[in-house]
Amino acid sequence: MRSLASSVLILLAALGAAEACEPPRLEASTRIEGKRHVLLYRSVPSPPPLNTAFGIEIAICAKDGASVAAPRVEAWMPAHRHGMNYRPSVAVKSPGLFRADGLLLHMPGRWEFVFELGGERLTATHDLD
Amino acid sequence: MQIFAVLLALLLAPLAATAELLDFSAAEWSRIVRHGPWPPPFKPDPSNRVSGKPDAVILGRTLFFETRLATDRSLSCARCHDPALGWSESRARSEGRAALDRNTPSLLDVRLRRWFGWDGGNDNLWATSLRPILDPREFAASVSSVAALLRGDAKLSACYARAFGRNAGEVDDEALAIDAAKALAAFQETIDSARTPFDDFRDALDRGDRETAARLPVAAQRGVRLFVGKGNCAFCHLGPAFTNGEFHSIGIPFFTAAGADGGRHAGIKSLQASKLTLLGPWNDAPELAAGTATRHVELQHRNFGEFRVPGLRDVARTEPYMHDGSLATLREVVKHYSDFDPERLHGDGEAILVPLKLDDSEIDDLLAFLAALSPTVPPPDASSGPRCE
Repeated sequence: MRSLASSVLILLAALGAAEACEPPRLEASTRIEGKRHVLLYRSVPSPPPLNTAFGIEIAICAKDGASVAAPRVEAWMPAHRHGMNYRPSVAVKSPGLFRADGLLLHMPGRWEFVFELGGERLTATHDLD
Repeated sequence: MQIFAVLLALLLAPLAATAELLDFSAAEWSRIVRHGPWPPPFKPDPSNRVSGKPDAVILGRTLFFETRLATDRSLSCARCHDPALGWSESRARSEGRAALDRNTPSLLDVRLRRWFGWDGGNDNLWATSLRPILDPREFAASVSSVAALLRGDAKLSACYARAFGRNAGEVDDEALAIDAAKALAAFQETIDSARTPFDDFRDALDRGDRETAARLPVAAQRGVRLFVGKGNCAFCHLGPAFTNGEFHSIGIPFFTAAGADGGRHAGIKSLQASKLTLLGPWNDAPELAAGTATRHVELQHRNFGEFRVPGLRDVARTEPYMHDGSLATLREVVKHYSDFDPERLHGDGEAILVPLKLDDSEIDDLLAFLAALSPTVPPPDASSGPRCE
């Protein structure tokens, strides 16, 4: 009986570990918690400028401990139903740390940053006025 | 005494009428102030090593009015980019050696652009200056003929040596033609629009000077309110130059006698096939002019039929309007946005672009605002400066 209880505790601990991870440190960033990943990002410069090219630094970890490939990054205006006129490039800086360049938000209003990684889609909105 | 009081009231009435400032909200205030200050400071174009150099401006100004650049000596840049017409022309569609499909875009404030031409087929001003010279429908010249002119004309040759610090005879044809285009660009960077009544209004708002701000006619103030509000105009006509420099489909037909004008779709393809971009070997400072936009621009289906958003400064001088010159007056332009057929827009285009259904007074107010974007005194005449001697 004691052995069964120990096994359950070990299993629960393992499940708990699978539900949390910590991405590489990224100061002054925004955190997005997904089902399978945790993502931190910050625009460079911050806040993102209107109608001027900028970059995004991104730190990601996978909750199952797997290594993380470069995410696909885009930005979208839900109310306008269009995205940017540019496709950002994403470079790996170090394991779990990435840099997207070539973003340009050409209109004021509500933008949604979209990060696609490993079948998961993480989003965050920015109001640009 | 009573009569005196009435007369005084009548005399003061116009002053009171002109001193009215609308009750702009904080959000409107902020959106209005974003359209300035004006003019922005001059920043040399790093991709052009003679940008901002007076000797290059002189050579460029001379070449701009030079008909010998064209094969048959019948055309100059100034023929279509007429300084008296806001550096544009009154014809709906340009005519070179052949009829063209687009209206001549104004060169006012051209130094501030990210993309050049109605389709953004160039990412720099020197490449877009060379394009009509080599186009068989326009100047029908070649890099060899441009180079021969610079080498063979003593005044131009001396002017070139002063501007570029080397003799035209020592430079190959292609490099010499591109240098000529860079001198043309240096000159066009001096074509700035002047300050306007709107700028005085905007600056007064920015410093909280309600009395000066109230000098803008009330109709124009109502027009500003429409422009940054209900009209949704400032989504694309944003910033001090009143343009985001990008591309949109606004329901203007793009069919031509030869088929269709692909607009931005064709422009991106042309850009990506060109070696005269910021990513190419003729960029004089790739470390400073990195071509980030060029590297990342994405060809999308919706680009078909999109055209560059023009700036609105001094817009009253540049009629007719739209990429094909199909709207003769500013009133027609405003009425277009009021009544256009949404069926003409791309399904994946701009969702907030809907017919505004403006009434006559709203149309008049928007026109009053657009009139306030014209300078009250003529801008410095960039065409009258020194030329090669």
